[in-house]
Amino acid sequence: MAGVDAATIEATRRHGAPLARGRRRFRVGARPVEAWLYVVPALLLFGAFELYPILANIIASFESDQGHASAVQYAAAAADPVFWTALRNSVLWVVVSTLLEIAIGFPLALLIEFYIGRGRPLFRTILFLPMVVTPSVIALVFTTIYAPDYGLLSGLFSALGLGDYFPAVLGSQDWATLAVIVVNVWQWCGFFVLLYCVGLAQIDADLLAAAAIDGAEGLARIRHVIWPLLRSTHVSLLVIGTIQALQQFPLIYLMTEGGPADSTQTLATLIFKTGFDENRMSYASAVAVVLFVLALVLVGLEYALASGRLSFRRRQHG
Amino acid sequence: MAKSGIAYGVVILACLISLLPTIYMVDISLRDSVDSFSPVLIAGHHTLDNYAAVLAHGEFAGFFVNSLVIAIGTVILTLLCSMALAYAISRLKVPGGPVILLVVMSAMLLPLASLLIPITVLLRNLHLTNSWAGLIGPDTALGIAFGTVVIKGTMDDIPVALEEAAWLDGAGSLTILTRIVTPLVRPSLLVVAIWQFLFSWNEFFLALVIMTRDDMKTLPLAPLFFEGPYMADPGKLFAILTLIGVAPMVIYAVLQRWFVSGLMAGAMKG
Repeated sequence: MAGVDAATIEATRRHGAPLARGRRRFRVGARPVEAWLYVVPALLLFGAFELYPILANIIASFESDQGHASAVQYAAAAADPVFWTALRNSVLWVVVSTLLEIAIGFPLALLIEFYIGRGRPLFRTILFLPMVVTPSVIALVFTTIYAPDYGLLSGLFSALGLGDYFPAVLGSQDWATLAVIVVNVWQWCGFFVLLYCVGLAQIDADLLAAAAIDGAEGLARIRHVIWPLLRSTHVSLLVIGTIQALQQFPLIYLMTEGGPADSTQTLATLIFKTGFDENRMSYASAVAVVLFVLALVLVGLEYALASGRLSFRRRQHG
Repeated sequence: MAKSGIAYGVVILACLISLLPTIYMVDISLRDSVDSFSPVLIAGHHTLDNYAAVLAHGEFAGFFVNSLVIAIGTVILTLLCSMALAYAISRLKVPGGPVILLVVMSAMLLPLASLLIPITVLLRNLHLTNSWAGLIGPDTALGIAFGTVVIKGTMDDIPVALEEAAWLDGAGSLTILTRIVTPLVRPSLLVVAIWQFLFSWNEFFLALVIMTRDDMKTLPLAPLFFEGPYMADPGKLFAILTLIGVAPMVIYAVLQRWFVSGLMAGAMKG
């Protein structure tokens, strides 16, 4: 088909931007020393609470409980079935959360931006509201919703005559992790909708008109024109969703505390449990390093996917 | 028009799902003890007694003050640090600027949990646990990356002619930053301020390990604090949840216009 080559359009859009780039030569006449003064406050805080911790963490993870340098904590983790459960759950959190958030957020944004005439800001705001509610509050509200006997969900099951089939979701090793992920998705979908709306609003109307002339309508227009044009939004959301899912703590801690039988532990909750409840700081540091490496690997994969290096689909040529 | 009818239907349904838990929360907070355990969305017998009982509890006001001080302190400090850093990189061309920006940006990829232990140990050594500064410091550090990227993005798009003119007139870099650049990047400052306020107001993980004394706890820790005592009395527990949860919703609902227009203005690129 005579598809529109999204990459070309994107490139023209970028380079065609008539921006005066005179700023490259301009420096307000400040000397380097003076310029550094503006950097110091940020770098001090940043160094103390970001750079130092990550280095200290790596060093601490290579200490045995007696303080000798060794990889014993990593060996202990590898031998610990709870560690593997936590690792698997962390990956599950990332995959299920981000995929659901995109699968729900993107279509909703499309409907709001292209098919709805009135009330767009209102809908966007309502959908975004869960994002601003304190997660620990959400955790308790959903614990009640999921509760057997008096919870909203069990009431719904009873009303439909299915009362006997209601699973005690948070007490079930099979369902608890997914049940908590659903809450996370509920909270974050509005964020995805909002950022997709921002992305959609920035698409040039002329481009869509040109695509329509080329015969791209309906689903074809979405798949071959709109979806590829939002590439930078997809990448931002994937990365934000990934990091967010990996660091989710209050929902799990308050809804299941990692249980039943450690089945809902993630790397984040395991760090808290081993480091603070059990006071095994070096072990927890090793888990923290694994979490940090996992984050880098997943984000790296996402960038590779987005830049097409890992694409399984045949490339479209105009 | 059938198409837009379906579109409205789907979006309204999504909005209902989005609001449902909040409606449920508010309703339980208004129930008397007879209805508080009934498994329905809206129950009868509404009363404000729960709120009266909860607000009579001294601790809650203390939690609120701690949260407010920490959130406001974090917002102000984040804005100052991010503005200065963005200005140094975008305008003053500080040596190594691109490297600093890259390092700061890659920190956004660090999950908080992987920094938690060293941050706690550091704060203990500095005797900053159970103090406002003990949360303002890390909360600010965690926000500097986002703040700098957003503010620098906006700054880069402003033409420098005004600043050049001011410089030729003898204005120093600080004057140019406060008098000329700041007003022009205001939309991005609002985005950062709103985002950072909500982050700090809702932050649970750091607060849990750093604020161990009851009189220093912040609002996100309140559900945990009151969960035990009010186990058999969900109406009162949910009154507390509503008081905590509704505040940021109201703040966002009032400020969302500026937040969204700031995002639309391209603050989120990069």
